[in-house]
Amino acid sequence: MAVLRTFLYLLVYPGLIFLFVYSTFCEWFDRKVYARLQNRMGPTHTGRFGLLQPIADFLKLLAKEDVVPEAADKRLFSVLPAIGLAVVATAGLLLPVWNFDLARPGWTSFPGDIIVILYLLSLPTLILFLAAWSSTNLFSTIGGSRVLTMLFGYEVPLFLAVLSPAILADSWRLAEIAAFYQARPLLLLPNLLGFFVALIAVQAKLERTPFDIPHAETEIVGGTFTEYSGKKLALFRLTFDVELVVASGLLAAVFMGGFPGGAVIGFAHFVVKTLVVIFLLSLIRALTARIRVDQVISFSWKVLAPLAVIQLLAIILLKGFLS
Amino acid sequence: MSDTDIVESLKRDLGAKGLELANPAPRRIFLKIAPADLLATATVLRDKYDCAHLSTISGADRGETFEFLYHFASPVAVITVRTGVPRSEPRLPSICAAIPGAILYERELQDMFGVTVEGIPDARRLVLPDDWPDGQFPLRKDWKHVRTEEVIPGGKS
Amino acid sequence: MSFQIPIGPQHPALKEPISLRMTVEGEVITDADIRLGYNHRGLEKLAEERTWIQNIYLTERICGICSHSHATCYVQGVEKLMELTPPRRGLYIRYLVSELERVHSHLLWLGVAGHEAGFDSFFMYTWRDREIVMDLLEMISGNRVHYAINTLGGVRRDLDEGQKSKILEGVATLRKRSEYYFRIGATEPSFVARIAGVGMLSKERAIALCAVGPVLRASGVARDVRKEDPCAVYDELDFNIGTADSCDVLGRVVVRVKELLESYKMIEQMVKGLPDGDIVAKAPRKAKPGETVSRYEAPRGENIHYIQANGSDKPERLKVRAPTLANYPATVEMLRKGFIADIPLIFAAIDPCICCAERTVTLVSARSGEESVVRMSDLRRRALARSGNAPVKGNAVWPF
Repeated sequence: MAVLRTFLYLLVYPGLIFLFVYSTFCEWFDRKVYARLQNRMGPTHTGRFGLLQPIADFLKLLAKEDVVPEAADKRLFSVLPAIGLAVVATAGLLLPVWNFDLARPGWTSFPGDIIVILYLLSLPTLILFLAAWSSTNLFSTIGGSRVLTMLFGYEVPLFLAVLSPAILADSWRLAEIAAFYQARPLLLLPNLLGFFVALIAVQAKLERTPFDIPHAETEIVGGTFTEYSGKKLALFRLTFDVELVVASGLLAAVFMGGFPGGAVIGFAHFVVKTLVVIFLLSLIRALTARIRVDQVISFSWKVLAPLAVIQLLAIILLKGFLS
Repeated sequence: MSDTDIVESLKRDLGAKGLELANPAPRRIFLKIAPADLLATATVLRDKYDCAHLSTISGADRGETFEFLYHFASPVAVITVRTGVPRSEPRLPSICAAIPGAILYERELQDMFGVTVEGIPDARRLVLPDDWPDGQFPLRKDWKHVRTEEVIPGGKS
Repeated sequence: MSFQIPIGPQHPALKEPISLRMTVEGEVITDADIRLGYNHRGLEKLAEERTWIQNIYLTERICGICSHSHATCYVQGVEKLMELTPPRRGLYIRYLVSELERVHSHLLWLGVAGHEAGFDSFFMYTWRDREIVMDLLEMISGNRVHYAINTLGGVRRDLDEGQKSKILEGVATLRKRSEYYFRIGATEPSFVARIAGVGMLSKERAIALCAVGPVLRASGVARDVRKEDPCAVYDELDFNIGTADSCDVLGRVVVRVKELLESYKMIEQMVKGLPDGDIVAKAPRKAKPGETVSRYEAPRGENIHYIQANGSDKPERLKVRAPTLANYPATVEMLRKGFIADIPLIFAAIDPCICCAERTVTLVSARSGEESVVRMSDLRRRALARSGNAPVKGNAVWPF
């Protein structure tokens, strides 16, 4: 029975199938908001309001011809998309929506899971770099080097920003951090600065405009994905969709008081809060132009990182004041 | 400066170099010189007449000679410098030393008329493909395009 | 480590085939080379075999965006050769279409610049508003792209009162929107960060390399064929030359938006001051032997046609120089020392129209592929069958 439950947990809810469905919904939401901000309709025809469009796109890509370049490291090239999806799906299991019982830490909710989730969210970036490098295309290589360059920019501000609420809550467990802020909602306000820093860093992590530099199509064709096609590209796109859900879930758990109220109401909280975060991310995407990779680095070290440090200092002072 | 002023001062500046000088329409001045004087004339036009802008170089096949027209545009007039080279020995000095922007037009002339521009900084082909046969110059009047018969695989012949 | 990256002939940033070979070191470009010749149609040779009238429609097909500018430039020259004076109403309508075309071309360019910088919202908005001017052009000429309104001695279609008021209405909307885009383009931080200081071209180099149009004007040189060689109606209109001194892509954006605003002014003047009378004078079939140089300020810069007549009904020689070709040497200069990320922006900033710039050589035989051959009629039948069988889609609904 326990085995069956574990399987259901991994495959159906909150595992692959749920994450697939919800992340395609989030992609639809993102596309729709983005389109409306640009005076377009966005997806309309597939399914009601075009809800099935991301799934249709996914299936279409699955059916497309899958080309592996002659010069590429074939094994690495083929296995990386699957690893990427596995990594972000694993990160998805750690969100405190499905494991909210504070008294009984399980294998998806334990002290230190915030570190693990941040780590798992960093891995796709490295996988992207490897994928770009192993495809040996000139444009991919440039894209890969841009992926890594950007990583050094946004990763530190993201960590600092996400960890400062944890310091205030005095816990490294997501469920406990959420519970701490549910009990004292006013304390969410001092973290506001960190929230915006984290929002921008997540935008960069997800490689969305203005940070879509590694796959800027007008500069370096598809960048990291130039040589990817068919199933592998579909998996990569799904990876990004799931990463969008997990990252916005993480921000919601840490900065928005988590998902109180048990399985059902907590789930409603999850949907609403992730959609709010995705809406903010779509806004950023629609309102900015793509910047250069050197501008990303200088922006994150001159603006984001100092802001995150100020946030951290403020939290430490506040903590001393409170105790 | 009016057209007549330009014509007068051109007469003074060029002296014997200016073979013909005409002003058939307002703001249009046509000047004929020998090919050897091209660079010197271009320098004079650039420095004295504010004609640093070379609009383009036109070529025309006139039978025994090729005629090349350098259209210089100043803010008040277009001064067209005309020169002719014999078909048997088509050679032309480059004016890139005076006007760097002339390079593409000179390369185009080489492609189209088979004239050799001497002293051109970059003599590669401009518009013709790399596998274009030598000695084929499309804008010469005696050049006719013969379309090779298309063979469409699977089509009825 | 330095290596060469090929931008084109097929590349998402380029809408037409051209090859830019960039030698890069990391993200910095050390050298650039432009190769042309992927899109040759042999128009100059072809023009020698067509009559004066047929050539109007041939020159119109030199470019898909500034089609009217080539046709106008050609018609101006031929009218001079034929010693023909078009009636003033015809001229006004001809240059009214010119200015409307400039508006549509600059709006298109603004959108493309936004897209190349990854600013897709800007792209969508400018292209939405471009539809207004496209509709106006369709209303005037019956076509959206190749207006075919020019003819020797005037224009082919007249304007009525209703059309005049519609033009004024459309221009009023466009002016409001353009001012808004000017604010966005010059102040949105991420967009400005991408275009300010990029693609520098000093005033001296711009002049030496014979740059034309907005590229030249953005380097602080106030030259415009409409002012210095005022053909027909431009000396009767009140307008300024828009310039900028920043010498970069930002300057080129500013110049183009300024030109948009000037064009709206001119359109209003022309519509309000449209003289009465005929729109066309009868043109002879043949032109006397002679030659003429015709210049015209296309949206991309100076357009020059050199026409030789030999007394027959066909030209002896028609030389066309499109503005884009004149800007290539300057582009190479601008690209050097830039970043890879700047390539699409710098290249787009000259508003390249590659099919304009390449028109001289006859086509070599088409490459044949493995595909089976389908006749056009067959293709059409299939398309009709397909669209007939397709399920009827409901109207799109926005859910919120």
